[in-house]
Amino acid sequence: MARGLAHLSDEALVALVARADEEAFAELYDRFGRVAYGLALRVVRDPALAEDAVQEGFLAVWRSAARFVAERAKASTWILTLIHRRAVDLVRREQPRRAEPLELAPHPTGDDTEEEAWLRLRRTRVQEALRRLPDKQREALELAYFGGFTQSELADRLGEPLGTIKSRMFSGLASLREVLAQGELEEEGWREPRSTS
Amino acid sequence: MERAEIHELSAAYALDALDASELEAFEDHLARCAECRENAASFQAVASELAYEAEAPAPPQALRERILADARREQPKVVSLPRRRWAFPVAATAAVAAGCAAVGLAFWAADLSQQLDEQRDAAHLSEEAVAALAQADTRRIPLDGANGVLVVDDETGKGWLVVLGLEEAPSAKAYEAWVIEGDAAVPAGLFSGGGVSTVVELGAPVPEGAVVAVTVEEAGGVRQPTQQPVFISGEAA
Repeated sequence: MARGLAHLSDEALVALVARADEEAFAELYDRFGRVAYGLALRVVRDPALAEDAVQEGFLAVWRSAARFVAERAKASTWILTLIHRRAVDLVRREQPRRAEPLELAPHPTGDDTEEEAWLRLRRTRVQEALRRLPDKQREALELAYFGGFTQSELADRLGEPLGTIKSRMFSGLASLREVLAQGELEEEGWREPRSTS
Repeated sequence: MERAEIHELSAAYALDALDASELEAFEDHLARCAECRENAASFQAVASELAYEAEAPAPPQALRERILADARREQPKVVSLPRRRWAFPVAATAAVAAGCAAVGLAFWAADLSQQLDEQRDAAHLSEEAVAALAQADTRRIPLDGANGVLVVDDETGKGWLVVLGLEEAPSAKAYEAWVIEGDAAVPAGLFSGGGVSTVVELGAPVPEGAVVAVTVEEAGGVRQPTQQPVFISGEAA
């Protein structure tokens, strides 16, 4: 039966998933699978490993949805946090000596769907926000989040004291939060489109 | 680790930049420090925006199929209650707990009793429920399918449902509680959920051996349950 879950919020879908609703789970995957895969691929830099991270991350969503507390976080944050955690675990286990980020071959984009346009818009928005951060803060955020380095590894790699790395990450996220919040004010009415068809 | 130093770690935590032992120490700290929980949640929201910076090629269709098949395979077990009429699917709580432990998100899996204590402090519970929870001779029976407990006063048979983070019932619908004994389901009250905590004083006594189930029904309530329960208590034995 088609229940038309498209109008439901991400949080409502997670609540359904907590009751073992497979359709709601599929809808969540359709909403976040792509960005999750992109994130995992960027972190692990290997398509097979990225698939593993997405698979394990989504199964964690399936198993622990009952513990998600909507008052504490957006569902999107929760899901992407689970995916990121899996990706970082995998890359730390599989690639003890990580190389520089590998440039991915451009992917053929046959289906230039609305969803893709939406993801491009969000990517631009984050890229612009990152560009407004001091170089060193941006570097610390990117190496930690996408490189999967621990703060101690970062300190070694950059030849800086651990305390410096910690405060760069702290001020980096704080500034990013500020810049993104400003952006939202400027682009009033900036909302995630929901498919109505 | 120094106190002041550990507060700083919410950023590294949100970026997943802590090693295993740092992570464990920080999650211990999170369980006790509301300020850090708030910081960590806010930083996690910002960090997850970074995810959108990655190029996002479409994942293979086979991955979708695999994930959905895995989930189907883990479908919660069907729990049979005293009589065959009541065969309810309930969330496999063991799997839920295992999943949480596996991802190490102690932050989201804060211990229920601690949450209850916080709620009590915040005066979110009615006096009667607080009294019931505080009494030594009440029993707390965990719920399957929701984060909460059934509290039963053995002497009087009076029961309360205490549920955290229960989603608001859909419009024109209500949650309806049932006391189920053998083949009989007795309606025990309507409620709407929503908010941080939901406390329901049950309108029917909970005898020994009975279970309490909650279904989503028409807003005015129905005489007998027409839906599968959204959550259910263990046996009040």
